[in-house]
This record gives sequence, C-alpha cells and structure tokens, in this order.
Amino acid sequence: MAAGPTVKKIMDTYKGKIRLVIKNYPYIYRDYSHLAAEASLAARDQGKYWEMHDLLLKRSPKLDRASLIGYAKELGLDVKRFSDSIDNEMHAQEIERDKKLATDMDLYQTPTFFINGLKLVGDRPFDSFKKVIDEELKNARP
Amino acid sequence: MPDRRPGRSRIVMLCFAFLVFLCSAYAVAGDLEPFKAVPVPEENPQTPEKIELGKKLFFDRRLSGDGTMNCATCHDPEQAFTDGLEISLSYPTTRNWRNSPTLMNVAFQKHLFYDGRARNLEEQALFPMMSAFEMNRNLDFVEEVIRSVPEYVDAFQKVFGGEVTRERMAMAIAAFERTLVSRDTPLDRYLKGDQKALSEEAMKGLALFRGKARCTECHYGVSLSDDMFHALNVPEDPEHQRDPRIAATRRFVAKVYHFDEYRTLAEDPGRYLITKDKKDWKAFRTPTLLEISRTAPYMHNGIFPTLEEVIEFFDKGGGQGNSALKPLGLSAREKQYLKTFLVEALTGEPVVIEYPRLP
Repeated sequence: MAAGPTVKKIMDTYKGKIRLVIKNYPYIYRDYSHLAAEASLAARDQGKYWEMHDLLLKRSPKLDRASLIGYAKELGLDVKRFSDSIDNEMHAQEIERDKKLATDMDLYQTPTFFINGLKLVGDRPFDSFKKVIDEELKNARP
Repeated sequence: MPDRRPGRSRIVMLCFAFLVFLCSAYAVAGDLEPFKAVPVPEENPQTPEKIELGKKLFFDRRLSGDGTMNCATCHDPEQAFTDGLEISLSYPTTRNWRNSPTLMNVAFQKHLFYDGRARNLEEQALFPMMSAFEMNRNLDFVEEVIRSVPEYVDAFQKVFGGEVTRERMAMAIAAFERTLVSRDTPLDRYLKGDQKALSEEAMKGLALFRGKARCTECHYGVSLSDDMFHALNVPEDPEHQRDPRIAATRRFVAKVYHFDEYRTLAEDPGRYLITKDKKDWKAFRTPTLLEISRTAPYMHNGIFPTLEEVIEFFDKGGGQGNSALKPLGLSAREKQYLKTFLVEALTGEPVVIEYPRLP
C-alpha cells in the first residue's frame, strides 16, 4: 500500500525526534515484488531510495526488469551499476533477513509499523500515527 | 335497538388502554437489558473441545488463499476484534470496501454483516474465507488442506464424530466466536442494581441516551442493537470512491448479488443488495454499542474517526436526505455527557485471548 506520503509527513513533523527503520517484505506471490525490493535497495546505494520507492508505487504493476532499468534512467542513476546490482541480486541476503524477521514475528501484512514496540497494521491516516507518537514522546525520557 | 356507540367513559378507557399498550410496546422496544447467557443454536451446542478447535481455526492462516491471513487479521483480539482501519484489511493486491465490525457480543446478532446477508455465525464464517477480496480461499480446497493435518483430523473426529467439512469448520469457529462477550460493563452492573456503577456524568449521559438523544429507539437489549437496518445516509468517503480497487470490489459484490447496474455502481447500496427493496437502499445493520470506545473508526465505511463526530452526525439528524433521523438539538455539554456514557458505561473488562498452538 502507498503509505509513503504518510511516512514522509511523519518524518517531517517529528524531525530529529524519531528514527525510521524500513524492512523489506516482498509479497511471495507477485512476480516482480522481490526484484522491486532489489531495485529500491540498488537505488538506495546511489542515494535515491525514496525517489525509486515512489516511482515503483506509481508505476506498479509495471515492475519488470526493463521497466526498472527505465526508472533508474529516469532518476538519473548510474544505470550499469543499478543493472548489475539487480541482476546479481546484490541485496538478496538483506531482503531474506528482513523476510525471516517478519515471519518470525508472525507478521504477514504490509505495511506493518512498529512504534516503540506498538504494532499498527495497514495504511493508516497520519492522525493514527500522531496519537501514538505524541504519547510515546510524552513518556520518553528527556 | 341497543345503542352500540361506546359511551364517553368507554372511549376514555379505550384510549387509556391504547396508550398503555403503546407505552409498553415502546418500553419493550427501548429497554436496556443486563447481560444474559448467549443464545446457542440447538444444532451447534458449545463444548470446550469445539471452542478450542474453533479458536485454532480462527488463528490459522491456512484458511486464506496465500497463507497470509487468518480471521484475526481483520478481527484482532488486541483491537477489540476489529482491525482499527476505516475499511478492513484485504487480500493482497485488492481493497475491501467496508469497515471490519467487532466480534464482541456477535453471538447476540440475528443478522451478520452490515447488510445482514448471513442469518447466523455458522453461515457467516464461510463468506470471508471464500471472498475474493478477503481470504480468497476455495472452500473445496481448504477442506482438503485441513484434512491433510492429522491433528485437525483427530480434533474433528473428537468434536463432531466425523471428518473435516466446511460446515463443521464454520460451526467450530462460530462456537469460539460465541465466547467473545463483554463482561462486567458499568452499565451491566447498573442494570443489575448497583446504583454506584456509573459516574454522575455517565448517569446524565444515560438519561440522554434513553431520552432526548433517542438512542434507545435502535440501540437496546443486551447488545444495544435492534438488529434491524436503517438508511441514515452516512456520507461516502471520496477517497474510497476514487480508488479503482474499491470500485472493483463494489462491482464484484453487486454482480454476485445480481444488481443489474453493477458496472456503474458508485456507492454502497447496503441492505438493498440483499433484499432489492427500495426502503433498504443504503440501509445498514444497527451495530452493537458495547465496547464502542475500542472500535473506532465508526460506521460501515469508517468515515468517522471519533465518537464526537458520530454524535455530531446524529445530532444534526443524520446524512443528507435521510428520513430515519431528526435533528436532536443537543448542547455541547449534553454531547459530552453522552460521550462519557458511551465510553465509560459500555466498556467491559478486556477479553484476554491465549493464542493457540497451531498444528
């Protein structure tokens, strides 16, 4: 789901107060989901994770190899480096590690958020996050 | 000839009797009742083993097509058996179109789903399993999947004296769901005679609930619902109307229920889809109000995130063009009392579920 804009709003609103950690969880029954995860991490290597993330959601389900390379071009990435990365599945270990973490935690829905251990499942409006974050910040030690 | 016209005193008596009858009928319709044993159908008696089997199935992801969803995905015990979203979670790549109702006190319902398409929990349990936008599981297939698990085969033999069938799966899940009831709400204690169970403000809210706010016209009985369908013209959510995945779900459901113009349907027809009766256009089942403080967002499409907004909606007489509600004229303070009553009086002890070990 397209939770990206909400996440960005959260990060802007609470700049310097919260830390964001993203884990990959490509859906097992979609042809290009794994490859798209590789593409986002290959773009991260070149400092354009969010740009690629947004483009992948916008253009989904066109996430085949040729399309991904097209997106890399569009974002001005080093295309050779990007293609080598996704062809050789350079981030497979990281993705597999994330997937194992999710299944070990009995998580199956994307997106799933944890805020200081509190679980929120699904794409939610900003205010749902705000309520939890404000409470956590209030309880945080100075 | 004897005069057959009723005398003046007889007319007065008749009027009085009629008035008493009306009053008693109204009182019955609007009575709040303390908790009583949940109704259990004769053909599906509760047993501890059946409830335990139902609980396992409730949490088993084998019941969904891709193995990612179980009943608890949308009816999460930690969120009062809802998922806390405007519209319910859905099968990957699809979107649901209605809010996930709580399962708390569902045993008291005479109709299931917002449109009442199922008559009992046994009938209800199979719908989400086979729904293309929910668990998306073929029922013939899921029977074989469950039959391939020896522990389930033994459990079905023990509980039902026979093999795994979809009907028995549903019976076991229904038995588990009948255990999900609100215990020890302040309102329940009050109705059983504890005069101190409600705070002063909640008592004022109760008076409004029964009186000026007219809530008990539909919210009465043990579970605070008349189990009927009312067209309040709850507004559509424009974001939902724009989403092509929700449009696909809406049209799919309409097509399944033989709605002729399903291809151009742009709103939720509610109960009409089931009855094809004009009076049911955009009518939805009256929900329970028990545990309401834990089951936001509200209404069939989760359009109202807070109870304040729900109270405002009723205060102004419901949605545009509806004929079911009239403006209430509540003051700001009265709205606050009403909210206090809803939150304070109708929230029971949290139901703690011990997660089962799945075979």
